[in-house]
Amino acid sequence: MTTEIKHPLSLRGLYQYHDVIGLLSAAGPGFSGPVSVVTGPDGNLWVANRANPNQPEAVRITRCTKDGDFIDHFGEWGEEPGQFIWVTSIAFSSQGELFLADENNHRITVFGPDNRFVRSFGGHGNSPGKFNRPSGLAFSSSGDLYVVDTLNHRVQVLTSHGEFKSQWGSFGDEEGQLNMPWGIALDLAGDIYVTDWRNDRVQKFNAFGEFSMAFGSSGDGEGQFNRPNGVAIDPEGDIYVCDWMNDRVQIFDRSGGFKDMLVGHSGMSKWGRTFLDANPDIERKLALASQNIAIKERFYRPISVHVDSEGKVFVADCYRHRIQIYQKLNST
Amino acid sequence: MPGTDTPLLAHLLRRAGFGATFQELDQYSQVGYEAVVEDLLHPEQRPPIEEDVLERYYIDWKESRNIEGALTESVYRMNSYAGKRPLQEKIALFWHQVFATGLAKVLHEKTMLNQIDLFRQHGLGNFRDLLVHLAKDPAMIFWLDNNFNHKDALNENWGRELLELFSMGVGMDGRENYSEEDVKSAARAFTGWTIDDDNVASIPFGKTPWLFRYEPDQHDEGEKTFMGHTGNFNGEDIIDIIVKQPATARFLSRHLYNFFVADEPQIPAWQHTPPNDLEAIKVLENEYFRSGYDIKSMLRVLFNSDFFKSDQSRFAKVKSPAEVVVGTLHLLGDFKFPKRGIFDVALGCRYMGQDLLNPPSVEGWHTGEEWIDSGSLVERVNFVADQISDIRQPGVRSMVDALLNRTDELDPLSIIDGCLELLGHIKLHDKNKNHLVGEVRSMLDQRGSMAAGSLEDQHHAEKAILHTMKMIGSTREYQFA
Repeated sequence: MTTEIKHPLSLRGLYQYHDVIGLLSAAGPGFSGPVSVVTGPDGNLWVANRANPNQPEAVRITRCTKDGDFIDHFGEWGEEPGQFIWVTSIAFSSQGELFLADENNHRITVFGPDNRFVRSFGGHGNSPGKFNRPSGLAFSSSGDLYVVDTLNHRVQVLTSHGEFKSQWGSFGDEEGQLNMPWGIALDLAGDIYVTDWRNDRVQKFNAFGEFSMAFGSSGDGEGQFNRPNGVAIDPEGDIYVCDWMNDRVQIFDRSGGFKDMLVGHSGMSKWGRTFLDANPDIERKLALASQNIAIKERFYRPISVHVDSEGKVFVADCYRHRIQIYQKLNST
Repeated sequence: MPGTDTPLLAHLLRRAGFGATFQELDQYSQVGYEAVVEDLLHPEQRPPIEEDVLERYYIDWKESRNIEGALTESVYRMNSYAGKRPLQEKIALFWHQVFATGLAKVLHEKTMLNQIDLFRQHGLGNFRDLLVHLAKDPAMIFWLDNNFNHKDALNENWGRELLELFSMGVGMDGRENYSEEDVKSAARAFTGWTIDDDNVASIPFGKTPWLFRYEPDQHDEGEKTFMGHTGNFNGEDIIDIIVKQPATARFLSRHLYNFFVADEPQIPAWQHTPPNDLEAIKVLENEYFRSGYDIKSMLRVLFNSDFFKSDQSRFAKVKSPAEVVVGTLHLLGDFKFPKRGIFDVALGCRYMGQDLLNPPSVEGWHTGEEWIDSGSLVERVNFVADQISDIRQPGVRSMVDALLNRTDELDPLSIIDGCLELLGHIKLHDKNKNHLVGEVRSMLDQRGSMAAGSLEDQHHAEKAILHTMKMIGSTREYQFA
């Protein structure tokens, strides 16, 4: 007899929990404070680990299949070229180079297809091409690199070699102004969405950086945010926003209308299962912790969201050291 | 405000907080002493620190997986609140010292930090309520084995320490405060007070907070006799009886006096050694009962008392390592926004002999002169000297600029007096001051004074000021509060 597992649905039923990949680990299969998740040119998941400042060996990029099989990891903590300390996000260019934002070293570091260091650019400052704690990264279809320059409260547009092209944004809460922005994503039309972190809203700009619209306000109701960070747009134009301090991911239509909400439904991951099989005493203790069962399934500071071409939604569940995966059920 | 005694305010801020910058003292001087006391007693009226920004950059803190992260977070928060809510942090440090709980056993950093938060939230409230919160605190339950305290298998650890170290003390005025039977009854009353999710590893998905859980089937429902009262007592009944005891008033009053006014003998000696200032202790005891066990009321009386304000109580207490580190950081104006490096600074407390979140035993740290030995003294002096002479620090820069802007001419005495004032109205012993005058004079190129308008002279004066502050940092008076 087989048991059919019915995975739970999202708030409005438009998404279904699919799987989880993760395990707290400083090396090998596992993550340590995952802050950014993307699909690489190889079709696999690439996950940036922020880790713990007192455990620098855990700062790394982990690569695994979307079924949760570990492939490899690379990266080295430090300030030398090719090293990084406070990673905030990663993104691939159309040439297959991996770009990494490091908000401690105030620079973008580029790795080639073989994961070797290629170049870096930036440096601390507020002049064009300089950064003050860069975070979100995204590429336009023409290959321009968009960098969220958090403490300069602006978005910079650069070539993939770091040459300055344009910028927009200044500190404030008016239209087009920003307060410690974090995430960035582009839709198929080339419009740009920026999570305006301390203004608790998402702003949309056209390709020239001109303000188009904004949605969201402070709070924990539908359509409200408590420090939004990761953002992604799926091929149908739906907007996914990590509502960080509300511990949820909200989904909006292209006009900013609320559509659905993910809160996390994690079960046990493949890597976690392997660990618990080898440590049954820990599994017994986990089972006894009756008051904490529900919260262990939920997101705990979701920080990055990525939607692939098959409608799978990958959420970096930062403090739980895992990627929770949902499947979009119906296109609208 | 005319007539405001700024040196007295500086004394208050050293004791009720971690010291104050000269800009803060200027602001406090505008409102007067008693108003400042009220301000300190109501930290909830001041804005909290920006938790979102902390989490934004110290991304691991919410989970706090290791002791290094927990230590870093503790010192960062103390430093952040040193200017905003100084007494809230100071009282949390006080209770951490009294209700000493440590990571050496608890091994769950977030749970330890939650206990410190408990002290922030309730440390100025009602002592009865604080003890109830403490009895339900998962770190304390685990620390003193109350999770192993069952009706059929008694564990007396928590029950004993509640009486001995957390409320009444072994004895006072030469007599014992409770009996072994009272210890057993207290332990029985707390059977079934346990925790959820204890000792679960961080793998696979990180740690979750420990939570209090009451297990009725593990609770001893039998009749108990405690301090002359008999009944089917639960834990809160025991605490209700404890807080009514004169011994509790004495114990709490001595602790507050020892921490905020002047060093008392070490706690184990309290049964047979009377308080240094019995009259002051009586004043605090009376307020304890008058206010219904209200800690804030006791501190209001304490800070407004003559025994606190007196010249004799100033610079009469050895600063704890946390006071040295956080007080110095506060003067520097460093780490007002998250950045790397706070861990290295936080380690200073450990090197000076106060491993925060990890006291040597349930007795806490021995205070007063026991903070000082040859090794810790060197650490103290080196730490302060390194930090306080770093012109890149915004607080140091502002002190130097303030002094340079004060007068057209700088001579040794004006530099020294200026530095002493800017560092918190420190009053040096004549001998120490004379020594400093000689040192600074030799630095000033034997000219005795310099014109502040000349760039060369200004650079030289700046060096002299920094050197002076460095030397003041190594004086006895700076190391005392």
